Amino acid sequence: MKAVITSMVVAIILALIFSLPALAQESGTITITMTGVNDISISLDKTQWPLGEVATDTEYMTSPPIEWCTLTVEGNCNVNTFILGEDTEWIDNPSAYKWTLSTDGTNGDNVYGLQFRISGDTTRGPLSDGYVPITKTQSEFWPYSGGSGSSLAPGDTKQFGLKLLTPTYFVGSRQMQTQITISAVAA
Amino acid sequence: MIRHIKLAGLIVALLAIFLPSFTLAQDVNFSVSPAEVHIDDLPPGETAEFELTIHNKEELAHNFTFTTFQPPEEERREGRAEFPDDSWISFSSPKIEVAAKSEANVTVTVAIPREQKLSGEEWEIWLGVTAESRDLLAVRLYARLLVSTTPAVGARPNAGLVAGIVVGIVLLGCGSYYYFRRRTRPKRF
Repeated sequence: MKAVITSMVVAIILALIFSLPALAQESGTITITMTGVNDISISLDKTQWPLGEVATDTEYMTSPPIEWCTLTVEGNCNVNTFILGEDTEWIDNPSAYKWTLSTDGTNGDNVYGLQFRISGDTTRGPLSDGYVPITKTQSEFWPYSGGSGSSLAPGDTKQFGLKLLTPTYFVGSRQMQTQITISAVAA
Repeated sequence: MIRHIKLAGLIVALLAIFLPSFTLAQDVNFSVSPAEVHIDDLPPGETAEFELTIHNKEELAHNFTFTTFQPPEEERREGRAEFPDDSWISFSSPKIEVAAKSEANVTVTVAIPREQKLSGEEWEIWLGVTAESRDLLAVRLYARLLVSTTPAVGARPNAGLVAGIVVGIVLLGCGSYYYFRRRTRPKRF
């Protein structure tokens, strides 16, 4: 009788030895880590550029041209920043009429160009004049590929200005509106 | 003369691009934390949840919207691949209003489908928080989300379980056989 009980106990123990680790793996722990106490934040000291009435095929620049707006890093982590443009829409009926944002800063009929320039950047951009086209694809603001700059640290600032090139043709007397998004991510 | 009138019509086509100056400034000073979230060992078929905190530092309440963004390869952390499907990430609400000088949380849920091919992967995607504004310049803050899945889900655990059960059955069978054999053996006097 003793042998029977012993063999039963051994059987149960062996079964548990094999199956418990397996069951334990089925219910593995998911680890969620929030890196440090990182808090990401940037601010802009200017968000409006009231141009008023504009003419066709004309270039407008912010004033001052390249120190118009100041971006400040306010969180507690270093950041990389990006810029994104969009089409300009007629405020009264956005789906009915728009100016398309060009991909290279140039203009055309109902096509407009937008560019930015960061203070201190004198050779960046397709014309190596410091001006970089703003497009509908999010692209580098600061730092940028091929540049010597590094990520912005808390307290760092960057001054920049904008340049608008109006379409060669557009429908007049319509109030238009667009938005440029400046974004940041932890470096 | 007609040509001149047409030309004048084009040049004097007057527009007010961007909002007029008398519009109230709507710029928003806000922060998002954490700036980076790691979810490790997430088995395909399981979900994970965490919270993003939005701190509205302004004197006015503001609406914030949430989106996902697939960063280009050069912006991702080393060794991280593109997150396969944005729809696996959901926010408890697509938009929240945060009162002046206060914070609010949004719950982010990551649900990976139960598919063997999704095991042992390391992905990255960005979670964007944008303050709603009608100004020309707007700010969007991204939190990096890095997700890694458990390797070879289900294969080894199931094999171990089956092996354990088989060994248990065999040993129990042997024990039972031995027990009944002893019971049916004629007793000697």
